[in-house]
Formats: sequence, C-alpha cells, structure tokens
Amino acid sequence: MAQNINPSVQSQSGTIKQNDDSKKISSDSHAVTKRLHKELMSLMMSPDKSISAFPDGENLFSWIGTIMGPKDSVYETLKFRLSLQFSSSYPYTAPVVKFITPCFHPNVDTKGNICLDILKDKWSALYDVRTILLSIQALLGVPNVDSPLNTIAAEKWQKQDEYKKHVLEMFKEESN
Amino acid sequence: MSGITENTKTSGEPSKENPSPNSSDTPDDEKKDDRMFECNICLDTAKDAVVSMCGHLFCWPCLHQWLETRPNRQVCPVCKASISKEKVVPLYGRGSTKQEDPREKVPPRPAGQRTEPEPGSAFPGFGFADNGFHMSFGIGAFPFGFFTSTFNFGEARPTPAARGTQQHMEEQFLSKIFLWMAILFVAWLLLA
Repeated sequence: MAQNINPSVQSQSGTIKQNDDSKKISSDSHAVTKRLHKELMSLMMSPDKSISAFPDGENLFSWIGTIMGPKDSVYETLKFRLSLQFSSSYPYTAPVVKFITPCFHPNVDTKGNICLDILKDKWSALYDVRTILLSIQALLGVPNVDSPLNTIAAEKWQKQDEYKKHVLEMFKEESN
Repeated sequence: MSGITENTKTSGEPSKENPSPNSSDTPDDEKKDDRMFECNICLDTAKDAVVSMCGHLFCWPCLHQWLETRPNRQVCPVCKASISKEKVVPLYGRGSTKQEDPREKVPPRPAGQRTEPEPGSAFPGFGFADNGFHMSFGIGAFPFGFFTSTFNFGEARPTPAARGTQQHMEEQFLSKIFLWMAILFVAWLLLA
C-alpha cells in the first residue's frame, strides 16, 4: 500500500486531519442527498405512470409517493398516497413508509402502517423508492393473509365481492 | 437496478437534443458504459471499487458501511449471497493511484492478495539453503516393522522384471546396494 501514497498528499495530511470529523458527518448526509437526487431523476424519467414520488416540499428526506391499484385486483383504478420518511442512514436502513390514503388490506393497519418484509429485515441498500413502491403495489394485489395486521381484511379476502365493496366504501369515504 | 437502467435509457433517448444520424457510440453509449461501473449502494460511479465474490461492484466505503449496519446478517445487497469484509477483491484500474487522502477510506480497503507463481522445475527437497534444516527423531519397534512389511495382504507385489531387460539390471543393482548397506549397518552396530 505504502508505495501508492503520493508524497505530496502526505505533506498536506496534517491540515486535512483537523477537519476530518466535521467533514465526515457532512459528507454522510451529502451522500444521502445525492442518492435521493439520483432516485428522483430516474423516477421522473421513468415511463411507468402507475407509480410516482416526489419530495414533500423543501425537505428531501420526506417524500410523498402515489401508486395505482394493480390491474385485475380489487384495487384497480384506485390511487393511493403514501409517505416515505428517510433517515440519515439511508440507504443502509429502510425508510419509514406509511399509507396516507386509508387502505383496507390484510397487511396494512388502520394507521397506515405496512407489514412488508423488505421494509424490515429483508431490506437491502439496493432497494430504492421505485422498488419500494412497486413492492407495495404488488402487495396490494397479493396480500399475505397468514400474518395479517388487519384481521378483518384477512378474513374477508376469501370473499372477493364483499371485500371489494368494503374497499370501495372506505375509499369513497376518504375522498368525500 | 436493471429496471432503472432500462427506463432511463428508453426515456432518455427521445429527449436527446442531438439529431445526428449515426451517433451510436457517443454520449448515450458512454453513459451506458458508466452505468456498468456504478456502485450498487450509492448509485454513483464506484470509488475505491471492490467486487464481492458474487461479482457485485461497490464503493468500499459504501459496502463497509452496509456490513457495519448489520453485523449479524452480512449479505450482498444485490443477490443476498453471504459476503464478508475479508472476501472482497479491490479493483485497481490504471488511473487508480489517486491523489486523494487515503484516510478518507477509513478503514483501509483490503489489499489484493498476490500469490507468487509456482517455482517451476526446482526440486523441492534438500532445501538446506532456503528452508532450514529438518531433523526428526523416532522410536521404532523393530519386530512390528517386520510384521507390517511381511503380512501385506492388500495387493500382490508386482512381478519381477524379466531377465536381461534394462529394468532387471537396475533392480539387481539396487538390491545389491541395499544389501551392502544393510551389511555395513549391521557391522557398524556390532562394532560400536
């Protein structure tokens, strides 16, 4: 390793060392901002109209996402708004994602919390806003009935007609 | 990841304001090439690049932080293969001896492991000069040695070579040498 170090850098190292700590912290949050910027750019370029996301106001660490209900599901034609809260440790930890629009679903509770493995222990630094929203969209169509947050929804899932009526009623109440 | 690449590519092309007809190996292609070397965590061109055993590219600081965040579940962010800090390979490009402060990369990126090529034809034994002197002590039980060599039930001994051949001559010669050595040894034992 030693032979790779440029001697001119070594002579400067004393001055660099002093600002090292402060620099590190600012560069951390800078890296998060940079990555979120990149994600925003690629989302805006994306031709997929069924999902979208945009920062909520000035704060780049808080986003509002929208997903359309998946085709051929009871949620088809419905549009859901979600909030995404990023921490400064993103993408090493998952953002906190919640439904803003009330959603009647086995894996979503009445407060909008979502039970999804990739947002918990299966999180990977590779996942981004787009893949999160796509996963939630997929979850709408294929709920995991075995570990429900909303037991009523899980029971009703078997009777699709009744379930759909409930979903539409809840959605209408919200939009009025 | 692949999805993102495709999407930006397809939507990027119509908005390109460069109508020259055969610009296939200009900015767009270059951009695509750059994307191949993007870190899977920060989505930027990989700096202090390392490659996991499963072949996925990361900046060393990014991967290090990912492994630090979850010390008990060290998996590749891309394919979830098990990975570890010791088993990543650094990539040294031609222009990679950078001018930047190496302490930025705390902790230092693991160095590449370089094994010397095989020494070729050199005879490995009798290494007094380079390997040092080997010496061994042993206690033998003579009669049991006799048993082990005599009661050898495994495979039959190879048949002796035919009389007159080169091999026969050699065998005779060897057996004579060993006989004389044995006689000398016994004589030495008796005299000493």
